[in-house]
Amino acid sequence: MAASVDERLAQTFVELADTLVAGFDLMEFLHTLTERCVELLEADAAGLLLADARGELQLVAASTEQARIAELFQIQNNEGPCMDCYRTGQVVMVPDISADDASSRWPWFAAAARQMGFAGVHAIPMRLRDQVIGTLNLFRAEPSGLAPAEARAGRALVDVATIGILQERAIRQQELVAGQLQAALTSRVMIEQAKGILAERLQIAPEEAFVLLRRYARDHNRPLTTLVFEVINGTADISKVGS
Amino acid sequence: MSERAARVWAWIAATHQGDPPVSIEALCRAAVRRLGVDGASVTALDGLGSRELVCASDRLSARLEELQLTLGEGPAVAGFRFGSPELIPDLESAAARWPGFAPAAMKAGARAVFSFPLQTGAIQAGVFSLYRVRPGSLAAAELADALVFADIALRLLLDDSAGISGSPGYRPVDGLWEARAEVHQATGMVSVQLGVSLEEAFVRLRAHAFARNVALGDIAGDVVSRRLRFDPDPVP
Repeated sequence: MAASVDERLAQTFVELADTLVAGFDLMEFLHTLTERCVELLEADAAGLLLADARGELQLVAASTEQARIAELFQIQNNEGPCMDCYRTGQVVMVPDISADDASSRWPWFAAAARQMGFAGVHAIPMRLRDQVIGTLNLFRAEPSGLAPAEARAGRALVDVATIGILQERAIRQQELVAGQLQAALTSRVMIEQAKGILAERLQIAPEEAFVLLRRYARDHNRPLTTLVFEVINGTADISKVGS
Repeated sequence: MSERAARVWAWIAATHQGDPPVSIEALCRAAVRRLGVDGASVTALDGLGSRELVCASDRLSARLEELQLTLGEGPAVAGFRFGSPELIPDLESAAARWPGFAPAAMKAGARAVFSFPLQTGAIQAGVFSLYRVRPGSLAAAELADALVFADIALRLLLDDSAGISGSPGYRPVDGLWEARAEVHQATGMVSVQLGVSLEEAFVRLRAHAFARNVALGDIAGDVVSRRLRFDPDPVP
């Protein structure tokens, strides 16, 4: 029999805790979190938005291209459940995006989400006390709500991630929080630059390059950001990453 | 452009007297006026470790940069590997970290210093620095604005080197499209195509987009989908 949701949740906590102690790599952590949320919470895709110190949401991780577009669409039009979730700090559950109230509340987003093949969206705030640092968003192809146990599991995962990002020592000081988030966004840009370098060297698509980077980092037990640095400054052996 | 970026850009343009080009000098003056600080400066880095003061709004700003260059320590010479700003609301608390710089800066008259790397990913072109004569944190809105000032300063520095910042209709920030992943992926690809640094590749992309009056994100999309290639040594 497959492991129960509780067992898999416990495994995920252990996995995330491991990431937090051993050579913490924020970007790898966030990508892992997004993937696990998809698996555990029976979503079809997930996206993670973080607010930069300018107060603007930035896309940090997305499990699929469709989720990436749905998230960017919301940022661009400043409209959608994820934006409301960030603004209010509350969970926003949209079991059916085609329902009248959802379509009239977010007309642009509802149309875009349908186009990307999504019927349901659930946005969970990444919140520490009164500070909202971002949102984790689950997309489903079929209309459906989150069961209470799933909603609880989602909150727990997101809370762990929030503390992981802010790290205990940084919690109280605005200066440090701003620095941590800025660092996360800078490493995201570095990953994109490295994807481009690798894609051109190996004549593959950037998304394939990302898969290779993550796999190589994982297989060789290296932090993703370290490998990204090496690709950028030319010290990584590209042919090995590509093999 | 986001609302905040549009507002900050309008402040800078209003501070600038006369016709374009809008300069780094105007940016520093606008920063002093709008961020509740006593001085602002921009220092360019060339990637080989050399630093050049591009602009300082006043003598103390210039002095703080000079002290850090001489002593080799301070917020503006911090690692900045990940692009985090160095925000020091009270230099007295930083004496252990910078035993040379902190007391010297206080003696010169500064009490709070804030340094922002002019950086996008691995591209690091300089540092934007602010100081206050009294201790105190930047308010949240001031910090948010200061980061936008830094975004614009980075683009002005890069676009100066490409010679496009003086053109009429120039706007340094291309809004959301610049936040698209494709822009950074295309930067990496073009750096390989031309055999140049990421910084130069980014400048070339921006110059290409500006010359054709096309959004940077669209040019980047063409590069990523391999509809557009940059070739070294074009035939004149």
